Amino acid sequence: MREIIKLAGILFAITAIAGVLLGLTNMATADKIEQQLIQENINARKAVLPQATEFKKVEDEELDSIVQKDFQMIEEIYEGINEGELIGYTFKTTPSGYGGQIVVNVGISLDGTVSGINIVSHTETPGLGAKATEESYQDQYKEKSIDSPLEVVKSTPSGENEIQAIAGATVTSNGVTDGVNIAIDLFNQYLK
Amino acid sequence: MKFGKIMMNGIFKENPTFRLLIGMCPTLAVTTAAINGLGMGLSTAAVLIGSNAVIALLKDVIPSKIRIPAFVVVIASFVTILGMLLKAYVPALDKSLGLFIPLIVVNCIILARAESFASKNGVISSIADGLGMGLGFTLALTILASIRELLGAGSIFAISIMGSAYEPAIIMILPPGAFLTLGLLLGLINKLTEKTQ
Amino acid sequence: MKDNELFLTASSSPHIRTKEDVGVIMRDVVIALVPAFGCALYFFGINALILVTSSVLSAVIAEGLIQKLTKKPITINDWSAVVTGLLLAFNLPPSAPWWLAVIGSAFAILIVKHTFGGIGQNFMNPALAARAFLLASWPTKMTAGFVLPRTLDGVSSSTPLAMLYAADATATATAEASATLTAVDLPSYMDLFLGNVAGVIGETSAIALLIGFAYLLYRGVISWRIPVIYIGVVGLMTFVFGANGLFTGNGIYHILSGGLMLGAIFMATDYSSSPVTPRGQIIFALGCGILTSVIRLWGGYPEGVSYSILLMNVAAPLIDKYTIPKIYGEVKANA
Repeated sequence: MREIIKLAGILFAITAIAGVLLGLTNMATADKIEQQLIQENINARKAVLPQATEFKKVEDEELDSIVQKDFQMIEEIYEGINEGELIGYTFKTTPSGYGGQIVVNVGISLDGTVSGINIVSHTETPGLGAKATEESYQDQYKEKSIDSPLEVVKSTPSGENEIQAIAGATVTSNGVTDGVNIAIDLFNQYLK
Repeated sequence: MKFGKIMMNGIFKENPTFRLLIGMCPTLAVTTAAINGLGMGLSTAAVLIGSNAVIALLKDVIPSKIRIPAFVVVIASFVTILGMLLKAYVPALDKSLGLFIPLIVVNCIILARAESFASKNGVISSIADGLGMGLGFTLALTILASIRELLGAGSIFAISIMGSAYEPAIIMILPPGAFLTLGLLLGLINKLTEKTQ
Repeated sequence: MKDNELFLTASSSPHIRTKEDVGVIMRDVVIALVPAFGCALYFFGINALILVTSSVLSAVIAEGLIQKLTKKPITINDWSAVVTGLLLAFNLPPSAPWWLAVIGSAFAILIVKHTFGGIGQNFMNPALAARAFLLASWPTKMTAGFVLPRTLDGVSSSTPLAMLYAADATATATAEASATLTAVDLPSYMDLFLGNVAGVIGETSAIALLIGFAYLLYRGVISWRIPVIYIGVVGLMTFVFGANGLFTGNGIYHILSGGLMLGAIFMATDYSSSPVTPRGQIIFALGCGILTSVIRLWGGYPEGVSYSILLMNVAAPLIDKYTIPKIYGEVKANA
């Protein structure tokens, strides 16, 4: 009995010291980590809606319930604001790719075009689906009109609303485009 | 044993990856690019030096009955602290190493060195051992990752080596490439060191 | 009676020997592949010739080189490297670059065959493992670049299985299933049988592969079990689990298209990576057939022959373990 108390005491002392050290490190780094996260999110939104200078989360209960019911792929909607004026929206969508969920940020400008897209995270195959993160692919979406849904084609695009698939990764291309289309759909129906 | 000798032992003669074959999980998983291999290696080295030093310091205080939980607490604290520091100051590396940072806790190199070296030797020797083992691990991971990045992406440390005409063999940065490279490297090293031993 | 006239010699098994050696068997396999090679040349022209030549050369040179380096007897005359080179080339799309064939063959011989001890020791079919390696390394080169046969500049086209796969996908997605299926103009049975379709260079012609099969059977090189059961299972399963409900699938189409014939006849029957007993071979063939059907019908790829055979290759030692007949009089260890 005496021994158990002794062992427990020593282990407690070690864990207590470790806990204090961890707490101190956390105090020192927590703010910095949070700032990193905030900055990262702002950068991600800014990448898809460059004209906006600040972003405000859309908090509208009616819209939230619509999104939850019919647009489950959409996770977050932000208003993009420039000098106090609403100029567009950014959407965080989560379509399925080849290797799982792809998180796509989509920006739609009030003038009726896609202002940009950005892959936040993905688990696609390196060298194939992962090419969706390259600018040359993402730039295809820029300034596409939102009058009709975008379509993925395998050859050089001929129509206005066509996106050329990444070679060997049609599923990924379709996934990303699904994410963009759902954002366009929501915008056209409720935010226009 | 002298400091330098203990350190060299970890880097070459008892290299954790190529000789002891421990810590295979991060070795195979993160070595998709040279920078990841280096980052993982150095992170592990930092934890290893810290935990070895603390455990050598506490070896007379910790009764042998509770040594494993005590070691694990020490190691886990170092890993968690390292994780927070990386998140705060090197977020890019933290992102690419992802889950493997917290998993340093269960990297058997660290517990193995605590158990077989630090709990039996002095602080200075243990630091030497941690440094040697850590650098040995870093060296192995960087070599492995460089080969994989070179063949699988045509570059090393993101600097293009093979030129634009090179068609990278994607398999090398996929999981099978890790096994292929490690297996061939081990064979080669065994072959080369055959005569000297 | 003189000593050397004794016909009973005391030695360990095998007791019955044949004059055939590896060289004879492998030469027969090469002869059996000649019709398919002819079809490849006829349908895909000079590209097929370049691919086959570079692949075979690379395989033979790699074999000679590694044997010289490791100071083993050089056996490039036994035709086995030629077979590996041929089979690998047959698994490449017609517009694949020559270096793909060279790297693939070298990988097959150096890594798959010789790191495990050379001929008879490889636990996977070298050509198939190399194909998997190439597919993972250069997926765009290995999955695109299919062309219609006998078109001079190579009009690109999808393989019949890829078309069927796409058609099935739309069929399950939309209600008008039958309408979509006919809308896609799939090649006719006759084209499939002769090989007048897009595909990797050695797989397209069913008739040429069947001629090779008949020759191998006649020469006693392989038994009918693995190919017939394998192909039969795929035909049956793809028929039963059709896109429009049970018993509506197109089994014959699945049999004739893709790499099934090539794989079942020439690759699943590889001696060192398939089971040795008849019972084991039946289980092996069933496994190959089921896996191929599952991948074709529900998997992410239109074709599943090579992965199925590779998976069953890995399972072969296990199958052998449970199907090797008991030695007479042996007692169970823990009885």
